[in-house]
Amino acid sequence: MNETKQENTGTETLLATWLKTATEFWGSMARTWANGPDISAASDTAAASEKEAAGRTQESLQSALKTWLALSSVMSDPEGLEAQLKGVHGLPEVLSRLVQSGWDGFFQLQQQWLQRAERIGKTTEAYKFENLDQNAFALWNELYEKEFRQFLHIPQLGLTRFYQERVGRTVDKFNIFQAKVAEFLHIFSLPMEKSHKVMQDKLTEMAEAGELPDDSKAYYQMWIKILEGHFMTLFKSPEFANAMGQTLNALEDYKISQEKVIEDILGMFPVPTQTDMDELYKEIYLLKKKVKALEKKKFER
Amino acid sequence: MAQPKIAVDLILSKLAEDAERSRERVQKASNVLLEPLDTEIATTPYEVVYEEDRVKLKHYHPVTEPEVKTPLLVVYALINRETMLDLQPGRSVVQNFLNKGIDLYMIDWGYPTRKDRYITIDDHVNGYMDNIIDFIRQRCDMPKINLMGICMGGSFCVMYSALHPQKIKNLVTTVSPTNFDTDQGLLHIWMKALDVDRMVDAFGNMPGDLMNLGFLILNPARLMIDKYVGFLENMDNKQFVENFIRMEKWIFDSPDVPGETFRQFVKDCYHKNLLIQSKLELDGKRVDLKKITMPLLNYYGQYDHLVPPAACELITSKVGSKDTEDMCLKTGHIGIYVSSKVQNEFVPKIAVWLKERDEDRRERKANKPPAKKATVKKTGTKASSAGKKAKK
Repeated sequence: MNETKQENTGTETLLATWLKTATEFWGSMARTWANGPDISAASDTAAASEKEAAGRTQESLQSALKTWLALSSVMSDPEGLEAQLKGVHGLPEVLSRLVQSGWDGFFQLQQQWLQRAERIGKTTEAYKFENLDQNAFALWNELYEKEFRQFLHIPQLGLTRFYQERVGRTVDKFNIFQAKVAEFLHIFSLPMEKSHKVMQDKLTEMAEAGELPDDSKAYYQMWIKILEGHFMTLFKSPEFANAMGQTLNALEDYKISQEKVIEDILGMFPVPTQTDMDELYKEIYLLKKKVKALEKKKFER
Repeated sequence: MAQPKIAVDLILSKLAEDAERSRERVQKASNVLLEPLDTEIATTPYEVVYEEDRVKLKHYHPVTEPEVKTPLLVVYALINRETMLDLQPGRSVVQNFLNKGIDLYMIDWGYPTRKDRYITIDDHVNGYMDNIIDFIRQRCDMPKINLMGICMGGSFCVMYSALHPQKIKNLVTTVSPTNFDTDQGLLHIWMKALDVDRMVDAFGNMPGDLMNLGFLILNPARLMIDKYVGFLENMDNKQFVENFIRMEKWIFDSPDVPGETFRQFVKDCYHKNLLIQSKLELDGKRVDLKKITMPLLNYYGQYDHLVPPAACELITSKVGSKDTEDMCLKTGHIGIYVSSKVQNEFVPKIAVWLKERDEDRRERKANKPPAKKATVKKTGTKASSAGKKAKK
C-alpha cells in the first residue's frame, strides 16, 4: 500500500516537473519571438507583408501558449493529477470493455445469421424441391434486405457524400439484379428438369409395353415436344410474367444507377455525358420538327 | 425362345449407324463451311429514290410490263428489317411482286440511334410515311397509291389510312396487330406486365438485342435448341447452310426501336387497346377507323404466336369500307413471307386483288399531289454479272 503511494507520489512529481519545464520553455520561446528583430522600419511592401504574416503566426502561437498555460495549471494541481493517473491505470479495463463490446456485437450478428439459416431449413417442406429453391430465393432476398442492404444505405458524410451515395446505390442495385437474374434463370430451367422426369416416366411405360422406338431421332422428337409443352405452360403463368418483369425492372434500375456513377466520373473529363447528349438530341428533334412543319406549310401554299 | 419386349440389338445397331452417318456428315460439313458460301440477302436490284434522316425509300427495278398501274408501297415494322421480304433468290416476296408486274416501293427504316429516341408514332406516320407517299404520288403522277403493311408497319398503315384516306387507293394489312386485348399470344400477355416507362427511361431506345432475346424466349425449345439441331443434321448440305445463314442474318439484324415510339405503342396499343376502339390520337388527331373507306385486304397466320388471329381479324369489321376481305393462312408469323408454298398463294392473290381494283383512273385529276421537291438519291445500286444486284 505504502509502495503504491510512494510510486504515485513519484509519478505525480515527475509529471509536475515536466509540465513546469515545458511551460517555461514554450513561454521563453514566445517571449524571444515577440522581442525578435525589429522589422517595423522596413519600407518596402515585401517587408510589410512579411511583418503582417509574422504577426499573425505570433498571435496564434501566443493564443496556443495561453491555452497550454491554462491546461498545465489545471493539470499541475494535485486533484487534477490524481484524476489523470486514474485514467491511465484504467486503460486496460477500458480496452477490454471495448473488445468485449465488439465481440458481443459480432457474436450477436452471427447468431442472427444462424437463426436465419435455421429458418431456411424449417420453412422447407419435405420432398417439395421446387419450394425449397423458391424459399431459398425469398429468404436470400429477405436476408439481403434486412442485414446487408442497410450497410449500403448508411448516410454518407462530407463533401463527397453524394458521390459515395450513388456508388453505394449502384452496388445495391447490382446485388438485387444478380439475385433476380438467379431467380429468373432458376424458373427458366424448371421445364428442362420437368421434361426429363416426364420423359423418363414415358420411357418406362413404353419399355414395359415393349413400344420403345428403335430410331434415336424419335426419342429426341418426343423430348423436344414435352419440353416445348412445359415451356408454354410456364410462360402463360403469372409467376413467370412476374419474375420476368422483376428481372427487367432490376436490370433497368441498375443501369440507371450505374449511368449516374459514370456521369460523375465523366464530369471530371471534358466529355459530354449521356444527360448532356439527351438534352441536345431533344433540342435537335424539336427544331427539326418545327423546320419540317414550316417547310410543309410553305409547299402546301 | 421368347421374343424380348425391347429390341435392344436393333436400337444399338441404329445408334451405331447414326454415329457413322454423323462422322461422315461432319467431314462433309467442314468442306461446306470452309468453302465460299453465298449468303447475301436483299439482292433484288433497287434504287434509293428518297431519303429523310435515317429513312430511305427503295424503288425496285421492274422486270416486266406493269399489270397494276398504281404503285404499291410496302411498310415494314420497326422491329427487324425489311430484308425479310427478299431473303433468298427464288423465295422472295419482292421478286414475286415484280414478276406480277407491280411497281414496288419499300420503306427502309434504317438503324435508329440514341438521337432518334424522341421520335414518336406521329413522326413515323404523319412525318416520314406522309412525305414518302406524297413523293410517290408526285413521282408517278397519281392521286392515290396502294399501301401494304407488315406487322407493326401494318398498324402504322391502318393509322395512316384513317388519317389520310384521300391518298390511299387500296390497303393490304399482313399479320398486323390492331386489337391488343387478347391473351392468345404470349407477347400480349407479357407486354401487359411490362413497365415501359422504366424501360425507356433506362435504355433510351428499346434495344434490338433485348427484343430478340424476348422473341427467342417465346419458344426456347424450338428457337434455341431444335433449330440448331436441325442445322447440325443438315450442315453437309450447302444450299441448306446458305439459306440457314441468310435467315440467321435477318433474325439477328435487329435495329433498336425509338424510345418514344416504343413507349407509345406499348401504352396506347398493348395496355389501353386504343387503336381498334378508334380512340388513338396522333399529335391530337383521332385515328377514326370509320374513315378507312378504301378496299381492305387483311392477311394473318393461323399459327402466328406473335400476332395471333385474334389480334388481326377484328379490323375488317371496324373500318368504314364495304370492300373488305380476311385471309387466314395456315402458317406462322414469318411463314407467310418465307415459305415458298405460302408465297405461291399469297403474292398472286394480292396481285389479282390489286389489279381488280386498279381500274378507276378518273380520280387522277381530282386529287393531285402537292408539287413538292423531294430529294432523289441514286445510291445503293450496283450491277452484277448475273443481273443487277442492289446493296443495302
